[in-house]
Amino acid sequence: MVKENLCVQSVAHISHRRPQQEAGEICGVSFGSRGEVVMNDLQWIQSAKNGDEDAYAKLVRRHSGGLHRTVARILADDTEAWDVVQMAFLKAWQKLDRYNPRYSFTTWLYRIGTNLAIDLLRSRTSRERAHKAGTEHRLRLVGTGEGAGARADSNETDNVLQQLVGVLTPQQRSAFVLREMEGLETAEVAEVLGCSATTVRNHIFQARKALRRELRVRFPEYLPASERG
Amino acid sequence: MNCGIFREMIGSYVDETLEEGRRHWFRTHLRECPTCRESALREEPSLLFAMAPAAPGEPEEIEACAVAVMGRIRQDRLESRLHRRRRPWLAVAAAAALVISGGIAWRTMVGGGSGTLQPVVEARRDAELQSSPPTVEVEMAGEEVRVYQFANEADSDTAVYFIVDPALEL
Ligand SMILES: [Zn+2]
Repeated sequence: MVKENLCVQSVAHISHRRPQQEAGEICGVSFGSRGEVVMNDLQWIQSAKNGDEDAYAKLVRRHSGGLHRTVARILADDTEAWDVVQMAFLKAWQKLDRYNPRYSFTTWLYRIGTNLAIDLLRSRTSRERAHKAGTEHRLRLVGTGEGAGARADSNETDNVLQQLVGVLTPQQRSAFVLREMEGLETAEVAEVLGCSATTVRNHIFQARKALRRELRVRFPEYLPASERG
Repeated sequence: MNCGIFREMIGSYVDETLEEGRRHWFRTHLRECPTCRESALREEPSLLFAMAPAAPGEPEEIEACAVAVMGRIRQDRLESRLHRRRRPWLAVAAAAALVISGGIAWRTMVGGGSGTLQPVVEARRDAELQSSPPTVEVEMAGEEVRVYQFANEADSDTAVYFIVDPALEL
């Protein structure tokens, strides 16, 4: 527990010296600076701890969209992701007394949500996995000269991931989504997943390798023209 | 100039050796510069996923989530209050059970004489009173609801709750 707290503290430090909030960061909110976001979160959490449910509702409204986007990418299922998000906020409410306000609420919340998503992935039956694989649909071909990836509709990136994510383990999926798609720092991903930075990097390498292979085989239209066979 | 720097950074990005600030710049340029995106994807197709959008989510879905979560939280709170309220009544039921079994034991010990019947009858009267479903009414000022509980001591696991808006009561 002490080790975990030390790790979160370092995450908070790193986050503060980041020059600019990247679009698609863990908060998923468009505030002027990270500091402002953290400040409001803490005020609302303190009120919620004192029984102010409206304050907690504000936290839910602020963070549910971003958490949903992340969980939906991990699960490759939009609807199921909302169930997980609701469960995560309920669990967070129940454990709010144990939340230490010195650390990032989002990291704590994403940890709860990601753990629930990973549990759900592990509990999915092989029949469900087979069903997912069988419902693969082809995405529209974009252009012939220029690489389609260069002009791909951004939502299609999610569609492609949905088709390919089945080749990754739950941990690889989570690490890749948090790091590569949500743009988190390695230390933050490590904190969310409760593992070391080295393990995170290893998950990213493995995920990238598998996705690269699958992309070449199943989505050659997303590669630059010179790459297509 | 920036494009040249970007292309030199592709390898380090994939190797996870870029410092976080430079990594952030790399990801921004990847989204904004079509020429660099083209060459980056040629070198590493999985960079497609670094361009994933940061959509904030549909407002209606977010609101529905907030309503669902807060509804569950309120429901949990009501349930936990009811559990606390129910305990004194369970103690009364336990005491009544003691009276009944005590009466029967006393009758067994003394024997079947006519004078021994009276306490048993009293105990049975107690039992009859307790077996009619007791009602526990809980006012929840903050919630502006009134909660009724119907339960039977013979079945301590089951209770029926009615949560009522007093304004709608007859
Ligand atoms: Zn460029």
